[in-house]
Amino acid sequence: MAKQQTEVRELQEGSYVMIDDTPCKINAYSTAKPGKHGSAKARVEAEGVFDGKKRSLSQPVDAKIWVPIIERKQGQVVSVDGNDMQVMDLETYETITMRIPEDADVSPDENIEYLEMEDQRKIV
Amino acid sequence: MFPGATDEREPSDTRGRESDRGGDTDARGRTADRGGANFVVVGAPLDATTTFQPGTRFGPQRIRSFAEPFDDYDHRTDQHFSELGVVDHGNVRAWTDVEAYLEYLTSTLREVVWNDGVPLTLGGEHTVSLAGVRAVEPEVFVCTDAHLDLYDAYDGEALSHAAVTRRILEDVDPVEEAIVLGARTGSEAEWERAADDDVTVVPPEDVRAWTPGDRFTDREVYLSVDIDASDPGYAPGTGTKEPFGLEPRELRDVVREVAPQASGFDVVEVNDRDDGQAAALAGKLVREFVFSHADG
Repeated sequence: MAKQQTEVRELQEGSYVMIDDTPCKINAYSTAKPGKHGSAKARVEAEGVFDGKKRSLSQPVDAKIWVPIIERKQGQVVSVDGNDMQVMDLETYETITMRIPEDADVSPDENIEYLEMEDQRKIV
Repeated sequence: MFPGATDEREPSDTRGRESDRGGDTDARGRTADRGGANFVVVGAPLDATTTFQPGTRFGPQRIRSFAEPFDDYDHRTDQHFSELGVVDHGNVRAWTDVEAYLEYLTSTLREVVWNDGVPLTLGGEHTVSLAGVRAVEPEVFVCTDAHLDLYDAYDGEALSHAAVTRRILEDVDPVEEAIVLGARTGSEAEWERAADDDVTVVPPEDVRAWTPGDRFTDREVYLSVDIDASDPGYAPGTGTKEPFGLEPRELRDVVREVAPQASGFDVVEVNDRDDGQAAALAGKLVREFVFSHADG
């Protein structure tokens, strides 16, 4: 899985983090003051990028953590077939099949932006 | 740990990094999967804005300690406390930056809510209720309290324990109304605020007859017990004692009445300035809440 390691202290709202092996977008980040001898701790509230499920984690700020590498791509809708659509990546011209989100209305020749991580994709 | 609860202060990948506080804090990394936990006890020993006698920082520890002798079995509901899925998260250690602390505490309590658990917060000063309410996002805030807690700010502090009900009403979006049971004192400005439609004040002498009726129907409810609602003769271990208060039995009946419909609960303002009367009452009310919620 495309990911890199960082420290919990580097995370911020709006960025991504892996929680339970799932790429998540951070909605809230708060830290607890260190105790007299303990290390400061951070709480992260996040939402799965692809599954929308809410998750949280609580770790010392100097703990190592994985951040997923999610690419933001441009594509063009080639065709629509029921709940699926064919999308051509405008950089590589590769054609991929994507599920059309329930709340999206797409039509052929339309340009879209989507997030991609390995074989998972989501329109933004 | 709260007697009868499962200890959830699990070690983690940070084991050994800090061990000098006897496991009484939440300063370790947490990877908990709370699957199956129905109730999560969270200690919130905030003691930053207390206006008279301090000591609420010892509240959670006192409540756990004085709950020790209670029987596991509840005859009224025919349930065992230890079988109701209560876990104890430990304390979220407090510090002086109240706003930052509340944000952190909210996040901890929200995690409980996300996992379909009911947060049971042990205060700490009453300000911690703001975190509980933010996490649960109820429509109705019910609290027992000797004071209105409707100051806009007390000594310039908007996050004062004397302003918590006002903060909840005005800063937490879903909250539509507050019902304050047992209130018997407040400033002139507070009583004026209490006259607005979104506040219902039930004086101590009327609490015995109070029932929510149908006002909770299809609405989320949060219940907060400020232990000073009780008459100080019964619960002297609290910071701002106010005579002519509720009988413990009346408090118990309020908890029994509201608990089945409440998605979050706290008991606050217990300090260490008595022989355990306030803490014992608080601990008993936590258990009443759990038994009644599970039974309801």
